[in-house]
Amino acid sequence: MEELVELTIDGKEIEVPAGMNLIDAAERAGIHIPNLCYLKGMKGIGACRLCLVEIQGLKAPVIACNTKVKDGMIVNTKTDKVQEVRKFVIDLILSMHPLDCMTCTKAGKCNLQKYAYDFELKESSFTRKKFGYPTDAANPFIMRDPDYCILCGRCARVCNEQGTNVLEFMGRGVDSRVITANDKPLQESGCTFCGSCVDACPVNALLESDRLRKGREWDYKEINSVCLLCGNGCDITVSTKDGVIRKINAGAEAGSAEKYICAYGRFGFDCIEAETRLTVPMKRVNGELKDTDWQDALAIVSEKLKQAGKEAGFISVAGIGNEDALTLKKLARDVVRTKNFDTTLSLYADSESLRNSQAANIDNADLILLVGLDPSQWKRVLPALDAAVRRRAGRGAKLIVVNSSETKIEEAATISLKGDEISILESIAKALTEKGIKADRRLVSSVKNAGITEPVEKAADLISGARSPLIFSSPALFNASANIALLKGKVISVGLESNARGIALMGLTTEGKTYREMINSRMKVLYAVGEVPMVKRPDADFLIVQNSHMTELAKQADVVLPSATFLESAGTMVDYMGRMKYLPKVIEPQGESKSHREIFTGISKLMGTPLKKVTEAEVGKAAKVKTKPAFSSFVKQEGLDVSPQELIESVNASVINGSRLLWLKETEKAIAV
Amino acid sequence: MANNRCSVLVCQGTGCVSGGSEHIYNALKDELESSGHDEGISVKRTGCHGFCQQGPMIVVEPRGVFYTKVKTDDVPDIIKSVLPGGKSLDRLFYRDPVSEKAVTHYHDIPFYIKQERTILKYCGYIDPEEINDYTEIGGYAALRKAITWMTPEGVITEVKNSGIRGLGGAGFPAGRKWESCRNAPGDVKYVVCNADEGDPGAFQDRSVMEGNPHSVIEGMIIAAYAIGADKGFIYVRAEYPLAVNRLKTAIEQARQEGLLGDNILDSDFSFDMEIFQGAGAFVCGESTALVRSIEGKRGMPKAMPRPRTTEEGLWNKPTLLNNVKTFANIPLIITNGAGWFARRGTEKSKGTAVFSLTGKVVNCGLIEVPMGATLRKIIYDIGGGIPGGKSLKAVQTGGPSGGCLPAEMIDIPVDFDSLAEAGSIMGSGGLVVMDEGTCMVDVARYFLDFNRRESCGQCIPCRLGTRQMFEILDDITKGKGRPGDIDLLDRLSKSIKRSSICGLGKTAPNPVITTLRYFRDEYDAHIRDMRCPAGVCSMK
Ligand SMILES: Cc1cc2nc3c(=O)[nH]c(=O)nc-3n(C[C@H](O)[C@H](O)[C@H](O)COP(=O)(O)O)c2cc1C
Ligand code: SF4
Ligand code: SF4
Ligand code: SF4
Ligand code: SF4
Ligand code: SF4
Ligand code: FES
Ligand code: FES
Repeated sequence: MEELVELTIDGKEIEVPAGMNLIDAAERAGIHIPNLCYLKGMKGIGACRLCLVEIQGLKAPVIACNTKVKDGMIVNTKTDKVQEVRKFVIDLILSMHPLDCMTCTKAGKCNLQKYAYDFELKESSFTRKKFGYPTDAANPFIMRDPDYCILCGRCARVCNEQGTNVLEFMGRGVDSRVITANDKPLQESGCTFCGSCVDACPVNALLESDRLRKGREWDYKEINSVCLLCGNGCDITVSTKDGVIRKINAGAEAGSAEKYICAYGRFGFDCIEAETRLTVPMKRVNGELKDTDWQDALAIVSEKLKQAGKEAGFISVAGIGNEDALTLKKLARDVVRTKNFDTTLSLYADSESLRNSQAANIDNADLILLVGLDPSQWKRVLPALDAAVRRRAGRGAKLIVVNSSETKIEEAATISLKGDEISILESIAKALTEKGIKADRRLVSSVKNAGITEPVEKAADLISGARSPLIFSSPALFNASANIALLKGKVISVGLESNARGIALMGLTTEGKTYREMINSRMKVLYAVGEVPMVKRPDADFLIVQNSHMTELAKQADVVLPSATFLESAGTMVDYMGRMKYLPKVIEPQGESKSHREIFTGISKLMGTPLKKVTEAEVGKAAKVKTKPAFSSFVKQEGLDVSPQELIESVNASVINGSRLLWLKETEKAIAV
Repeated sequence: MANNRCSVLVCQGTGCVSGGSEHIYNALKDELESSGHDEGISVKRTGCHGFCQQGPMIVVEPRGVFYTKVKTDDVPDIIKSVLPGGKSLDRLFYRDPVSEKAVTHYHDIPFYIKQERTILKYCGYIDPEEINDYTEIGGYAALRKAITWMTPEGVITEVKNSGIRGLGGAGFPAGRKWESCRNAPGDVKYVVCNADEGDPGAFQDRSVMEGNPHSVIEGMIIAAYAIGADKGFIYVRAEYPLAVNRLKTAIEQARQEGLLGDNILDSDFSFDMEIFQGAGAFVCGESTALVRSIEGKRGMPKAMPRPRTTEEGLWNKPTLLNNVKTFANIPLIITNGAGWFARRGTEKSKGTAVFSLTGKVVNCGLIEVPMGATLRKIIYDIGGGIPGGKSLKAVQTGGPSGGCLPAEMIDIPVDFDSLAEAGSIMGSGGLVVMDEGTCMVDVARYFLDFNRRESCGQCIPCRLGTRQMFEILDDITKGKGRPGDIDLLDRLSKSIKRSSICGLGKTAPNPVITTLRYFRDEYDAHIRDMRCPAGVCSMK
């Protein structure tokens, strides 16, 4: 139970959890304490001095961003003394600020503007000066305009905490600036273009490059959704205007940069209108793909499926929503009557590991154990996991990395255990049992021959001493990792695609032929859903490709069906942490493209067994699994060793090649050589 | 030294070295050797005597014959003078600036007579690169006494009873700081010596480190014993290469003598230290910025509320941070007792204060007086008054963030509390004397310029507010002052003081506040009459 304290803020009595700071506490009481350098979730640094408040009994005002609530505290946030300081500070900022609110993109969202308004400061009462620094607009993602910078340091703090360390303070006095190492452009400074700094910047100093005159905050409709481009399934906030996406931000509370999204999630959305975007169905006529209409295309598809029956095969990516997955399964099993359906999930995970994965919140973990995972913001392999782990570690959680190869994340580790993961897990298990942690008899006997090295002993010390350890495991090592969780903590199996866990729960998993078998055996009809990682047409008699974009594979298909992207259709997904998340339809699908399940339902109608709409209850029921953690032997699942980076890049090839991300890919390649 | 008939002490402080005293030293040694007269005559290097304007400087002991402004060409004559039958060199004697009379002996020069050199006592007398010189004058006896006869608590009690207050500027009682650091929980603790000395013109800490490095080291070891630390750092600004080298040599020698390292003096107390060279920012002298800087981060002060450095300092471990001179006093307190120390000074400020006396004063240099000595004594008795028959106008104490006190206040005692009451601070111990030809607005402008440049840039009031103050002052000195400027300066001063994060911002307006308080008419003359009373500002 959370301990609560009672205090009075501006005469209002409130009760808040102990350990909370005064800004957050006041917010709960509906009182806004002005602030510009505070970032929700991070420790206040006291740079802007706006949040000074008076506390009864204390002589000098204190900063609310770094003062914790205390029982019986009486706080005044609006005394003359602190209001005067606030006005003074804003006045000073305005003395070196462009005062461009009429054309500034941040207008309406900018707190500096708000405070100037509140204090009736039309302009500074001091002499004005411009910095006159050049803008950095050398990349298509982020524009840096230091002339607007108020040096709150939020960008640098966020960038450093997540481990990218691109931005730093330089210079003294008025010449202080936030710059990259040696003042190089971002792309030459190890920047991953995650844009966390943009989310953190309270003013117009950091801005998405493409936003000039594309509307301001009040023009936007903000919609919360989820990114489906990789296994992290990050929360996003999408801003649209006139039915067009204008920007995507991390889906965090306002004034906080607690959530991370990567460049794919933030900047990949231009692919929606890419040239390769499919807007009408196509069929092969005399060896060439020609546009057609839905009726024609679906008639051909249903006819072919009917003929193929149980010799038809369905392969899909695991980045489709639960409703799509359930509908696809029904189409295959109940309408076409084939057992041959499977997804890319089977390339890197056995579905049991995902079904047995537990639910957890990384923010509660005081120890993180990474098993066989190599998350990397730089390679964009589960970048949000990399960022979240580094952030936790930076805030005091212990990190243990177990991997047979070099990883970048181990630089943040308390202990890095290199070597065969199974042996290491066995010896950790043994060390834990020797510390008196109760264990299954089979577990004890299966590790009795394991040796315990000093680092393993230390790791076991940390695990047994931790309050709530959290294990992230590659699916292939899940069973072994789960054995550790039997002793202490929780375990999560981390798939590479966003809805891997949902796909497993919905049961769109191997029953007949596997994904690989379908590609390698000659299917009568092969129906590929989503951007399956394949460039050469498999040896199928008839190939249907259903995707949002024209791909190499689609070019070789017999029928191409245009599908909506995840931003254009509603649905649910289950992220790797086990949270069921809802994705609204953010914008209308391009052209005639339709959601996956609409297409499936259309086919089912033509085949005479119309499928009903998947209900929320159905999804909910499928997602509810009761698993009883139990011992299973320490073995690694074989055959699951695709390269994570290659897989993620290929299922997102159209996103990358159809957006600004192409520039990034090419620039990174050029810098690497 | 016992067999020596006489010693020629050649000052090798930074001032004299820049005047060529290294060559003089070498020439003396060479000539003595080649002439075969070296028996019974020794040539020694020493640290600064504090009277650098008269350097390069030589003292011939045992009689204390004092030569000033020595050149390499004088070497043969100096050698002749110390040989049997030789006569002292009249031409190299110090001449009283007023009477023009030669003063032959060190001990007779008013500049020295009126001082009470305590921590500076052996600067200029011992060879800083010879640990034996230090032990001969009783060095490391205090450490021996502390480790052998005293408990750590006993040491802290002694320091507390002495009443010594930190000499880095703020005057926090050292004993209390030591005690809270000792009581802070944790097995790893650090001792850090603040030798950042970022004030322009101040060189007290440098002189102590150059002239008597072992006294600082010994103080630190005793502190480590008292609080239970096993590692120490001396944070020296990188612009002090000579001090760094002397400290390095001294640390190495102390290690060889078993005074640093494992099992010091065969006890079970172990402690070692290293030198950390700072990047030379004024703000890095602030305790939390200094800590961050040693940790490899950018030197930026931490905002209150924050844990005390004694509880969470370096790498979040309890850390004791004291100034160079605070540490240099410790061996003396332990050897001579708290009572001896507390005899000097005022009721609330004990011991001595060291100042860098500069500006419009006859004798510039480094001086040491008991706490509570008046400005009059410092400026007239020791400093020899104002040159050129001009009159005193003001004194700036405490460096760029100190205040300017008018000539009328010349009889106030100089200690932490009296200065604070007058609107100034002890600060780094800078003491700039200004005569009637000084424009006080220009002075304020000069110091504000320093402060705005040294602002770490972290907080808005200091970063942008000092710039505004500077611009206004700059305008006033250029004849572009406007009617509301004084009010604006006043408002800026108050707000910056009230809202800045650290001491730099909180004290940055001091020069303006005090000049406004004591020399308001000069501001008025500039703004209203477009006139600089001192004739300094060009007013175009
Ligand atoms: C801007 C600023 C600069 C400072 N510079 C120094 C310095 O150069 N040397 C120093 O000893 N203390 C300096 N101080 C004071 C230190 O913060 C600290 O109080 C002192 O080192 C403690 O030592 P003491 O107790 O022996 O005086 C500075 C303080 C501020 C705010
Ligand atoms: S950043 Fe804010 S205050 Fe500055 S111009 Fe833009 S809207 Fe106005
Ligand atoms: S985009 Fe990301 S990596 Fe680049 S500077 Fe901003 S926060 Fe750092
Ligand atoms: S760029 Fe933005 S976030 Fe970064 S310091 Fe400047 S104002 Fe703050
Ligand atoms: S980390 Fe993955 S889910 Fe998150 S924004 Fe990037 S691509 Fe999308
Ligand atoms: S007061 Fe000045 S020096 Fe101190 S933290 Fe603020 S900006 Fe930096
Ligand atoms: S928000 Fe607290 S000082 Fe800026
Ligand atoms: S350096 Fe020689 S007297 Fe100062």
